[in-house]
Amino acid sequence: MEYGTIERTIHIDASPEVVFDVVSSPAHLREWWPDEAEFSPVPGAPGRIGFDQGDKVIAWEQFTVVDAKPNRLFSFRWTHTEGTVAAPDNSYLVTFELEPAGEGTLLRLTESGFRERGWAEAKIATEYASHVTGWDFFLPRLAPYAATIGAVR
Amino acid sequence: MSVIVDDDLWSAVGDPTRRRMLDLLLADGTGTATSLSARLPVTRQAVAKHLVVLDRVGLVHAVSAGRERQFRVDQAQLARAVAQLADVGAAWDSRLRRIKRIAETIQHRASPTTQDKQKRT
Repeated sequence: MEYGTIERTIHIDASPEVVFDVVSSPAHLREWWPDEAEFSPVPGAPGRIGFDQGDKVIAWEQFTVVDAKPNRLFSFRWTHTEGTVAAPDNSYLVTFELEPAGEGTLLRLTESGFRERGWAEAKIATEYASHVTGWDFFLPRLAPYAATIGAVR
Repeated sequence: MSVIVDDDLWSAVGDPTRRRMLDLLLADGTGTATSLSARLPVTRQAVAKHLVVLDRVGLVHAVSAGRERQFRVDQAQLARAVAQLADVGAAWDSRLRRIKRIAETIQHRASPTTQDKQKRT
């Protein structure tokens, strides 16, 4: 078994409050990752995220919040089997750490887990790659979404 | 390309010993269980078992059937495995770009910068 980790850091010109909301609320999650997201930001509470596969079929993955410290940290585990408690040997851990940087935020992402589990991420990337990873798909979505935010503010 | 095959492929390259074997085979061109075990801290028997795993997913092929089989790396299959690895990072890169765009759009709408205000006047 090999433990794998991905690390990324990105600077965002938005306050930690805004960034925290975007990375941790189900409504925003749906705009940058899954098609469906059902969870409450309470550590340990079972939730799930879904990937639309057409013909009204949704591929669900289990999703459990591990830690949520407003404007500082949000972490969750995903891909464990439904009905099991998320743990290091059955799921991937994703952590977002937020740090004020000037007028913006430094966002640090890590994802870790045992790659021998089948690397669910790679499978998803392969199966839904043309839809999920490209700007071709998301750019058209972003413009109406930005307009919606503008309308409610 | 089925998901099951991809899982096996992933397992095959997920093992550190098998990755070192692939490195050696790529560097030397070909190798046998004996020649590989001489350069690794594992027995010839263990290397032979790893070669079976690598052969099964198509990462190596036997290229001679002499007294001891010579193996060579299948470059195309290895490229596929590496591409799957890279996909995981690429997927997060594009997600982070979307997070950045969404957060900055919200921030911008909530508190336009001085420059933006000037543009409007």
